[in-house]
Amino acid sequence: MENILEVKDLHISFDTFGGEVKAVRGVSFDLKKGETLAIVGESGSGKSVTTRALARLIPSPPGRIKEGEILFDGKDLAKLKENDMQKIRGKDISTIFQDPMTSLNPTMKIGNQIMEGLIKHQKMSKSQAKKRAVELLELVGLPNPTERIDQYPHQFSGGQRQRVVIAIALACNPKILIADEPTTALDVTIQAQILELMKDIQKKTDSSIIFITHDLGVVANVADRVAVMYAGKIVEIGTVDEIFYNPKHPYTWGLLGSMPTLDNTGDDLIAIPGSPPDMLKPPKGDAFAPRNEYALEIDKEMEPPMFKVSDTHYAATWLLHEYAPDVQPPAPVLRRMKGFSNTGADSNSKEGEQR
Amino acid sequence: MSQEKLLEVTNLKQHFKTGRHSVVKAIDGISFDIYQGETFGLVGESGCGKSTTGRTIIRLYDATDGDVKFKGEDVHGKKSNRDLKKFNQKMQMIFQDPYASLNPRMTVLDIIAEGLDVHGLVKDEKARKQRVEELLERVGLNKEHANRYPHEFSGGQRQRIGIARALAVDPEFIIADEPISALDVSIQAQVVNLLKKLQKEHGLTYLFIAHDLSMVKYISDRIGVMYFGKLVELADSDELYKNPLHPYTKSLLSAIPLPDPDYERNRQRIAYDPSQHDTSEEPEFREISPGHWVSCTTKEFEAYKQELNKN
Repeated sequence: MENILEVKDLHISFDTFGGEVKAVRGVSFDLKKGETLAIVGESGSGKSVTTRALARLIPSPPGRIKEGEILFDGKDLAKLKENDMQKIRGKDISTIFQDPMTSLNPTMKIGNQIMEGLIKHQKMSKSQAKKRAVELLELVGLPNPTERIDQYPHQFSGGQRQRVVIAIALACNPKILIADEPTTALDVTIQAQILELMKDIQKKTDSSIIFITHDLGVVANVADRVAVMYAGKIVEIGTVDEIFYNPKHPYTWGLLGSMPTLDNTGDDLIAIPGSPPDMLKPPKGDAFAPRNEYALEIDKEMEPPMFKVSDTHYAATWLLHEYAPDVQPPAPVLRRMKGFSNTGADSNSKEGEQR
Repeated sequence: MSQEKLLEVTNLKQHFKTGRHSVVKAIDGISFDIYQGETFGLVGESGCGKSTTGRTIIRLYDATDGDVKFKGEDVHGKKSNRDLKKFNQKMQMIFQDPYASLNPRMTVLDIIAEGLDVHGLVKDEKARKQRVEELLERVGLNKEHANRYPHEFSGGQRQRIGIARALAVDPEFIIADEPISALDVSIQAQVVNLLKKLQKEHGLTYLFIAHDLSMVKYISDRIGVMYFGKLVELADSDELYKNPLHPYTKSLLSAIPLPDPDYERNRQRIAYDPSQHDTSEEPEFREISPGHWVSCTTKEFEAYKQELNKN
């Protein structure tokens, strides 16, 4: 499949009074056409900052893209002028924000908010745009769109507002849809509806989705591939099956073990001790080492490179080095891996190959 | 677990007046018991009245109707200040938002010691400080943290302070209103493990309110499902997940995404349609099998019974 977007060695920093906060420290990944890539990680791991940079929504100052390339459609978005970026933002790359309560303008009718992009990017007339807005509201499953188009955001419920936000994001048939925790503020039943809607729309429009969330259940539901971020870096990336059934990085183990499954009740949850590092002074070596019970001596000195597990699966942990001791992942993770080896895939490959 | 009832809630109602003629029935006649030493989970969508239930039990709101009995004594109704204080000491609450529930202008020491002062549980300044330090260590913080202010702590640490505050007066019963919803996944597990450990050490009883159903299943012994101010189903947590009977419970369970891609590919969501019920008969809360209660009409009662026997 062809790559629609390539991010290479992206570094983003924020200049504050306390010093330079290194929010993103060398992130590389690509996005294929029609796929859903989920980015997971704790708050402060840099997942939102990374994706905001793709749409160039980092306020500058204080933020700046220090290094790296964002290749889309033959252009490097990291260096594009604001004028040129405006032609892409909202048209080719659009964003669904987390909080439907604050991402809509409370003083504007929702119809006008949907039509804004259409008039600007598609050069539609007002009446054409209005027709299209009604179609979009129908597409996202809002009842009586012709009447509701003249209503204000406060007249909608949370789930309905998120549908409106999705309609705005979809208005110009974007090639890339960035969904920044689109369901975190919603109830499970509404969340299920919105996720189904997004998958449905993806099938129809063949757009690529970057989905940010910290809910691994949602990831298992929507993602084709998963990138796990910690302290401004991708620590593991692979297909959804590889990440859930054959995770290699201790941080991924911790994330998977900290969520109860419906059949475990007896044992304690695996809590990752401590909290994420201060990005003003990222620690030397592996940033996860202080919270990692599997940390090796070398983790304190040198940052691990990305080790290749399979063609699609990479992880940044010294445990994958050929000289590393054999380590048993925690019990709940082992149970998952068993399920995976039954499906015939090789779960014990340990190659010292570096990327 | 002993079968002694710690809390009995009978036909509790909480109606809010929202205008001259309109009334919101946030809780509309719910009844349940909570046994000594257990964790009772209360789940439902936002707006179903689960938080209002917790707040009404602890008297943050005065109930419109119904009884709440704590160890056989009525909690609601007219009470002298002295009696009230006694209840307040036995019942404590942990709030959802660790950012809003701690006074930013008070030190951690004063926040945690507030309950001790109110109830006169410590004799002098030294004992007060000692007690607070002991509490901080029990919830996994350092005693040096006592002189700091809330803004110096992360979300998970703040929630630990909230827990220490609740524990300060040696309560028997704690209402935890979405204590982990605002926290990161890895921190959620820390707080849940802490709550479980404290329960074991102190024989605490919890009312755990949440909308994260997999976490509720993990921590609770019994679970009640609320829908529009009513309890629609109540059962042991394993039983509820294995044999959900009320269509709303089924729909709620089918909506939970689990961290398992294989399961997710095959998950079928069941939608709930309230109009499927026969409205000519008022549904009642009936016991279908020992400990498993469902709100249903007589006809549905028979149908549920058959469904249960089939499984």
